[in-house]
Amino acid sequence: MERRTFRAMGTEIELLVEAEGADDALDAAEREFHRLESLLSRFRDDSELSQLNRDGSIDAGPDLLRVVELALAARERTGGRFDPTVHDAVVAAGYDRTFESVPADGADAGAPVPAGGGVRIDGNRIELEAGVRIDLGGIGKGYAAERAAEPLATAGPCLVNAGGDIATRGGSWPVGVATGDGTLTLELFGSALATSGRDRRTWQRGGRALHHLIDPSTGASAASDVIRITVVAADAVDAEVLATSLFLAGMDDAATEANAAGVPAVIVGADGRTLLAGGLA
Amino acid sequence: MGTNHVGRLYSVALALVVFFLAWAVVAARPWSTSAADPRLKVLAAREAQLRREAQLVNRVVAHRWTAYRAALHARQAEIATAKARSSQRAASYAVAPSAGVRIVTLPPLTITRTS
Repeated sequence: MERRTFRAMGTEIELLVEAEGADDALDAAEREFHRLESLLSRFRDDSELSQLNRDGSIDAGPDLLRVVELALAARERTGGRFDPTVHDAVVAAGYDRTFESVPADGADAGAPVPAGGGVRIDGNRIELEAGVRIDLGGIGKGYAAERAAEPLATAGPCLVNAGGDIATRGGSWPVGVATGDGTLTLELFGSALATSGRDRRTWQRGGRALHHLIDPSTGASAASDVIRITVVAADAVDAEVLATSLFLAGMDDAATEANAAGVPAVIVGADGRTLLAGGLA
Repeated sequence: MGTNHVGRLYSVALALVVFFLAWAVVAARPWSTSAADPRLKVLAAREAQLRREAQLVNRVVAHRWTAYRAALHARQAEIATAKARSSQRAASYAVAPSAGVRIVTLPPLTITRTS
């Protein structure tokens, strides 16, 4: 088993591959992360995403186009709970630079900015409604994990962990998931996993605790009783979308929806409870 | 010389007719205005007021009923939309192929955490 870790997309990336001498594959997977970060990061002025947000339209490359398509489809599927047009809301909340540079405390946050803005795709041209800007942070990591898994899989069964968004190819992979009072291990085979929560990217503004998971309907940090939710799905993009959507649903509704849809989920609440749903219990 | 007895008879008859007519006219007293019973006036005014209030109340009730029905329909539509959205979400989640996962007691090779 070979392992490599590095930083990209504001988080730690971990590559695991069941092979020896897989340096080329590991190099290719790492390059893929850096390449996609240069296209999809809102913190890089020269990224395609930043150009789109600045100009309001762009003739997009295939990756930006695909991620935006996935994000809009996710918005449709989740009834708006997942929404890429939360850029201005998350900036207003204080997350206006890479998280390492966000001050832990500061003056009051800006007024919440509800999302739901219009994004139009025509061929490879993406156009944003006036005043709309998009953030592809969460879904971008899931997408990058899946894209990086492709070259890595040429060396053998592999796992790509992009700050908690996990894609796998072949093999079976035991993954540790923090619960309310410990850890449990989920073994993934032919599946992916993502965790969303408000226990890491948090900060204070005007005495209020804020976090990066924005409720698109209000434009403010989501007032959910969930601390953290881990979802298993067919791919890391789906898992990320479902994790975000179920987080916003709140603990009990998330369990109900996950059970109804057969989506395996580990839901950790602010009260310390842990619910296993979607067939995991 | 005597008067014509027929003429006398006609005169008497005419006199009687005139008498009774005069009596009827006097009995009718069209020149006099009868003083209305003040209680009747009050009752009539009260009845008119009650009729006006009843009409006003009916208008207010009709207006509120219309507003309530509109609000009820709107709320029912909201509920139906929310239910449909929830069903759509659950259905869309289930579209993805079921993911392979199970809980094991093996030591993890990696961990997931909030990113």
